[in-house]
Amino acid sequence: MRKEILYSIILFFPLLIVQTTIVPLIAINGAVPDLIIILLVTFALRNGQMYGTVLGFVYGFLFDVITGSFFGSTMLSKTLEGFIAGYFYNENRLDHNFKSYIFPFIVLLCASVDAVMYTFLTQIDFRSSLLLLLFEQGMLPGMYTSVLSFVVVIFYKRRSSF
Amino acid sequence: MRRIFLIFWESFKEYIVLVVLIVVSLTALSFNQNKAVKNVRAAAFGTFALVTSVVSDFINVAKIKNENEHLAEMNAELMLQINQLRQYGIENRELKSLINLKDSTDYPLIPATIVSKSLTGAQNSLTLNVGTNAGVRPGMPVITDKGLTGIVFSVSDDYSIIRTLKNQNLKLTVKNERSRINAVMKWNGEYLVMINVPKTYDVQPGDRIITSELSSIVPIPIPVGVVVKLNNVERGIFNEVIVKPFVDFIRIEHVFILGIVESRQKNNLELNFYNRK
Repeated sequence: MRKEILYSIILFFPLLIVQTTIVPLIAINGAVPDLIIILLVTFALRNGQMYGTVLGFVYGFLFDVITGSFFGSTMLSKTLEGFIAGYFYNENRLDHNFKSYIFPFIVLLCASVDAVMYTFLTQIDFRSSLLLLLFEQGMLPGMYTSVLSFVVVIFYKRRSSF
Repeated sequence: MRRIFLIFWESFKEYIVLVVLIVVSLTALSFNQNKAVKNVRAAAFGTFALVTSVVSDFINVAKIKNENEHLAEMNAELMLQINQLRQYGIENRELKSLINLKDSTDYPLIPATIVSKSLTGAQNSLTLNVGTNAGVRPGMPVITDKGLTGIVFSVSDDYSIIRTLKNQNLKLTVKNERSRINAVMKWNGEYLVMINVPKTYDVQPGDRIITSELSSIVPIPIPVGVVVKLNNVERGIFNEVIVKPFVDFIRIEHVFILGIVESRQKNNLELNFYNRK
């Protein structure tokens, strides 16, 4: 368990560097995938709901402090996201979760909830179309993140085939 | 009592932790303007930016060749424009001296490279590789060759965070270059909009929007964007004007910080962006 905690913190920083330097280059129509979500869902599915919730909070805190975003907003959204991802934790179905379409689906769900939550927290002006806003800021980046999360599925499948 | 608590904890620990952490997060939301929090964040992003600057430098090297070609072309175009502007400048100086107007001063430009980008729907911010050591101060405008990019929000010794135009906390007084109409512009999460523009005002798609001299943050005219659409709000007497920014926030890599020394007198009179609580 201690190893797992160490990994989850150590992996966060290089991924945040990639997220803030390289990922903006592959944005499609303003939709930027969130690699931190993939990492959080991975650890939440491996270690359970409590772990996911606390890890989400820690990731959110670090993200807010480091990137200068609205302090507390990412903390809240990532905490919820870790909680939701942890809900799908099942010790007997760990492999199944990672090797099937379930993983990208959970990522999509979490990313959408995260983006919607973040939008609600930081968005004061709802005079523009709310549904469109939720689609553009919630679903689109969520779908993009979900597509990228297939990398984890492929990685797990390959690893187990050796 | 302890046993009851333990049973309760065992049954609902995930929910208890969730509620506690949500309460902590919500409390943190109110600490955004806290000086101690600001200091901690400045130190944290300064350290992190040190690493991201290495990565972004590496990425930038790959792009330099293409950029050089583009810059050479732009250089030629600008040379032609400068010749023309020089003529206008001479005429302008003569005319101003005739009517005894105070001339605008020179503003120092601090070149900077973007080392990381935090692009979220409502709170876009960029980290630059210059800080207080280079003379950067919170509240300074950040520009590119295309126009206004944002405002410096937080500064450490060697790095700074800017809030771009696509950040809800940045509200700017702008004006229509053609009809000279002033309005407040802000990011609504989807578009840049000039709000509360009376329907009778002369604003048309294609009009260039520049910063207004009424602004306490950017007192000189800098291009901001172009009007793309008028949202004819059915009720009321005001319109919303949708503006497309000149700067492409996803692609920009290099910016300049306008080293404007803020007028303390003016700052005390007006509540500018940086002083906003």
